[in-house]
Amino acid sequence: MGGRKPPYHLGITKSSAVRDGAGLIGVKGDGSKPHTHGIGDSVMAGNGISGFWAVLRRPSAKYSLLSLLVVGFFGGIFFWGGFNTGMEATNTLDFCISCHEMHDNVYQEYKKTIHYTNRTGVRAVCSDCHVPKDWTHKMIRKIKASGEVWGKITGSIDTPEKFEAKRLELAEHEWARMKASDSRECRNCHSFDAMDVERQKLRGSKMHKIGIAEKKTCIDCHKGIAHKKPKGMKEDEDE
Amino acid sequence: MSKSIVSTAVAGVLLALGSQAAMAAPDWSKVPKRDLHVFHAGVTPIEWATKKSDHSGSAGMRKGETCAGCHEEKGALNFNFKRLADKELEPKGAPKTMTFPVAFQAAYDKDNLYIRLSFKSPSGGADKGDKDNEVKATILFADPKVPQADQYGCWQTCHADARTMPGADEKKTKYTATGAYELMQWASKGNKVSDGSVTTERKMSGGGTGAKAEAAKSGDAYTVTFTRKNPGEGKSVPFGVAIHADNAHGRFHHVSLGYKLGIGADGDIKATKQ
Repeated sequence: MGGRKPPYHLGITKSSAVRDGAGLIGVKGDGSKPHTHGIGDSVMAGNGISGFWAVLRRPSAKYSLLSLLVVGFFGGIFFWGGFNTGMEATNTLDFCISCHEMHDNVYQEYKKTIHYTNRTGVRAVCSDCHVPKDWTHKMIRKIKASGEVWGKITGSIDTPEKFEAKRLELAEHEWARMKASDSRECRNCHSFDAMDVERQKLRGSKMHKIGIAEKKTCIDCHKGIAHKKPKGMKEDEDE
Repeated sequence: MSKSIVSTAVAGVLLALGSQAAMAAPDWSKVPKRDLHVFHAGVTPIEWATKKSDHSGSAGMRKGETCAGCHEEKGALNFNFKRLADKELEPKGAPKTMTFPVAFQAAYDKDNLYIRLSFKSPSGGADKGDKDNEVKATILFADPKVPQADQYGCWQTCHADARTMPGADEKKTKYTATGAYELMQWASKGNKVSDGSVTTERKMSGGGTGAKAEAAKSGDAYTVTFTRKNPGEGKSVPFGVAIHADNAHGRFHHVSLGYKLGIGADGDIKATKQ
């Protein structure tokens, strides 16, 4: 503690505690009259943010370690639960189509596809294909998706004409992401390991055999399966 | 003199009998039928079929797969007809009947190849551009110089810039960049038969098939029997069939995929020797 600024004594008022300090938390041993601020007194440090930060860094002497752990544990659960609940709320179909850009364009196209209705009743919503399931990649995707808020604010695709003009660019971004992840989101439900190509229609069976042999990934062939294909698509360079 | 008259007469009779024998129609009841399913292909020319971003199956085509190899299954076509009828692939509007079977029979003798097509011509077409002909039946035969004709059938003649395609020159006919197709067509008005070809353009006359045709109609059922010169025993000839039903013209036909006709040779369909 030698080089630090004099700490505030959080609730320590006994001079004996000031004197020996051993076994106590955050006790200053300079013999001066201790302060009696609580944690909420950070503003009184008089240094604004740096004062607040100093308080945060300082050990507490008012609350027991058990109290802090219990409060921290349950607080953490509530915070984490709330955070995840909030994040999951942004993964729902209703959230995705709450803006007219998605509702009026891609949603209308998606509703006509097998990922919306099918004989088995299994539906893949927007996030199933466009947001990773695992936490790390999900967080990265969510952070990147914050750029879409800027698009919303600036109205970059707020008319059907603007959307069509950007359709290829938007699709190419998503195809590149899927290609880079080996179609990870497709593979959450579909995989070559679980696929019995002999039970597929002939055209799918033959193409999947080629795909397996050539180590292709889903998005190499399955573009435009949930939305209209953009005009002016480039041909793959590896073909 | 009298001897020469007699011998000439005998020769004439023999020639007549001989040619009659050569032209004798097969006993069709003994010739196997194979249903070829013709379909409305919309705007899917060869450029579309070979472009991966349009047709993912083009990867299979590049590996030698035939159209029928993927799309003919369990005696029918496994196309997504909803997609073919959609505005994107058929901006003008699709016919009510997207596909129907044409019973195909083939037989040959030393001189001729006989092909019989039996089908019920559907109504409900979206295009009635040919006011004269209610129905037309066409067969194209590819020569060996047509690239991948055994895979693509007559798709090698179908191009995005040919007439009746969206935005195309209405005077530009079907064509093939390399090689040639023989063309024979029966048209319902006046039972007209065309013997033509497709090279850098389509010609409805001047062909080398010597095509003749007979047709019978019973209700909406047609039987069209072509007789043409035998392309040569031992050959396997790529071909495709098109039916213009309900006064359709241009690309608004129902077409078959490409098949090979074996004339004393292997093929998807083997002609019966007479």
